[in-house]
Amino acid sequence: MTDSVIRARRTSEPQAKGDRSPRGAGRRRRRLHASGLPWILPALVLGIGLIYYCIGYTGYISLLNWDGLSPEPEWVALHNYLRIFQDPVFWKAVWHTAVFFVVTFGLQTLLGLVFAVMMHSKIKLGVLYKVIVFVPVVLAPAIMAPVFRQLFAANGQFNWLLEHIGLGFLAQPWIGQESTALPVIMVITIWQWTGLTFVLYFAAMSQIDQSMIEAARIDGAGNIRTLVSIIWPSVRGTTVALAILSAIGALKTFDVPWLVTIAGPNNATQFLGTYIYQTTIQLAHAGYGAALSVILLIVALVMAIVFQTAGRERNAEKNPVERGTN
Amino acid sequence: MHLPFRSKRALRTVAVAAMVGMTALGLAACSSGSNQASSGSATKGTINWWGWTPTNSQEAKDFIAEFNKKYPDIKVNFKLIDITSYDATIRAALASSGGPDLFDLQPGARVQQFGPYAEDMAPVAKAALGSDWKSKIAPIAISGMTLKGKLTALPVGSTYAGMLWINSQLFDKYNLKPPTTLDEWKKDCQVFKQNGVGCFVQGAAQEGFDQDTLQSISNSVEPGLWTKASQGKAKWNDPTIVKTLSIWKDLFDSGIMQSGALGAQQYPDANNQFLTGKYAMIMMGTWYTQYATEKAMTEAISAAGVAGAKTFPILPVAFPDVAGKGHTSEMYGDADYGLAVASKSKNRAAAETFAKWIATTKQGQQVIANRLDTLPTLKGIKPDFTQIKFVDPSLQSTPVNDLLKKVGSVNEPREALLSADVQNAILAAAQSVAGGSASPRQAANTLEQAAEAAANQ
Repeated sequence: MTDSVIRARRTSEPQAKGDRSPRGAGRRRRRLHASGLPWILPALVLGIGLIYYCIGYTGYISLLNWDGLSPEPEWVALHNYLRIFQDPVFWKAVWHTAVFFVVTFGLQTLLGLVFAVMMHSKIKLGVLYKVIVFVPVVLAPAIMAPVFRQLFAANGQFNWLLEHIGLGFLAQPWIGQESTALPVIMVITIWQWTGLTFVLYFAAMSQIDQSMIEAARIDGAGNIRTLVSIIWPSVRGTTVALAILSAIGALKTFDVPWLVTIAGPNNATQFLGTYIYQTTIQLAHAGYGAALSVILLIVALVMAIVFQTAGRERNAEKNPVERGTN
Repeated sequence: MHLPFRSKRALRTVAVAAMVGMTALGLAACSSGSNQASSGSATKGTINWWGWTPTNSQEAKDFIAEFNKKYPDIKVNFKLIDITSYDATIRAALASSGGPDLFDLQPGARVQQFGPYAEDMAPVAKAALGSDWKSKIAPIAISGMTLKGKLTALPVGSTYAGMLWINSQLFDKYNLKPPTTLDEWKKDCQVFKQNGVGCFVQGAAQEGFDQDTLQSISNSVEPGLWTKASQGKAKWNDPTIVKTLSIWKDLFDSGIMQSGALGAQQYPDANNQFLTGKYAMIMMGTWYTQYATEKAMTEAISAAGVAGAKTFPILPVAFPDVAGKGHTSEMYGDADYGLAVASKSKNRAAAETFAKWIATTKQGQQVIANRLDTLPTLKGIKPDFTQIKFVDPSLQSTPVNDLLKKVGSVNEPREALLSADVQNAILAAAQSVAGGSASPRQAANTLEQAAEAAANQ
């Protein structure tokens, strides 16, 4: 922005100098070259008018006892927020979100990294494998949900498979019991998003200087040592980006748990997104749902600030000279 | 790229104008529009009807085709909305000026939430049926649709539950009789399982159908207590409810309920399993009567993904005396759905014409009756069995007719008295007991607390 303003001033100077009329020169001096502003104006208006207005309005609603339609909402101040902290379902949803993030991020990272390394190692039919790994990313959860409901049903294909490979003792109603419903949701999510992790790691690994890997090989590093000491540190930026995406994804989780288990049984797959929907739409507690939304927004903001701060500190440690010159 | 502005004032003017314009557009989009426009013509125009039922769009088209024989100048557009997203859709639509002219309402939470945005249909009913209109419509249908003295919708049909539907072929094949007690139910299930056939199937992930089973169990323990609790005249942690939840738990532990029931939905999971012959029993209400017919069952089996559908006769049987106290569960019911005219509609007169025709005329109610999906609410209208073809008339005709006669005397409500909060708490209690994370007493206490909290809101 600063650069563009300077450029705008510079480009206006010759025009002012070339004008012989003092009156005309004065008018032109007043002329403002607002580079960029008209172009961002629609987005700015939409951003402020819709997004920030809606956030503010949600904040206002969160102070009401309201069904979302009634013309006479009741002002309850911070009562909804006080209720949230005593609500066991809310804490369940928070816990599920945290566990979901840790497990899905950890396993997706591991699988994506391994797939990317394998694809870089000149295997036959590599393109086919890439397509197979990536296809789940482009499939809509609404289409896949009935498939997974059938797959993990008590008489579904997964139990059938277990029985046919001699593991019938492990067969159980996967989405019909509290202990296994959340792991099923995590498995589906990992299946769906590992392809994206793989693609990002694959691209990041293409940027690694081959001479570094060759030097490591000459120094006697094996596959594991090369992966841990050369490749993993080299793709750290990608890992941080994936961590941010996974955290955002965990906070926004709605479609898979809602379509596969309706957030049940007994709230076993309840997340903040599903709870907000259930509270606001099904139970018609728009005020309480808005308070939950505000809490979700705060958590997301805190998480974004933490990741941003951590990223800057890492960059600063990595490039101390650049920091000094800036 | 640079765009010159004559002055800062000019720039500001443009910016402010843009902001005002966008805000005005946004507010216009969000505004509710005029509240009471003209009601339009009663005999011509186009009306939009939104509903979650009839779930079979062809059924709605048949209704409209019959209606158009009398009112050819009123075009009715039916928009089928899945029941799971109906509340979200209709809530936003009713708040705007672009919503439906006519919409489905159901006793209970939906009447409570959306009834205030509907016209009072009592004057319409009075105009159609006379001053004694209340005596001409099933009383249970009127009470369920009434909110604070206002008839929020004209009841189109009524449904009743409290019975099981059985696959009579499977019972005949294994020489079994429909269960009348809990022990008989368990024994039947053992035989079915020994032969690789599922016994009883239920989508226990959804509150409405869990409530039906729980209400039936409760009626077996102590008739009427469930209704008293629904009315707030008894506690939800009453010993009868605790006993009800204990028996509910027993259904899971003894293998009556299918494995994984807590993760299954009644529609489509349980419904498809039963209609494809994989299970012998299911908990459904009078809306299942339609599948006693060859046509509807063939369509339903095909919809369940089975090619070359083979129909089989289904029969309604009384819910077993699971408490062993000699109480066979009484049935209970509500208006299935009613048609509400949106207060903001600009075509209220035409919308009232359609609602009046389908709910209060013999012609409209006969069309409803002959589908056997929902039972007509206008007294004296019965299905025309000369036009209805059962899968096995010799087997089904008597039990189905008996069922239709029996519902005429039902006066126990099904969901009409329960708010969304209480229904949600009942589901939580049912699932926590079945899943083993709470004892029946603990779950009943939690349910009572939730009901008290809901009552105080």
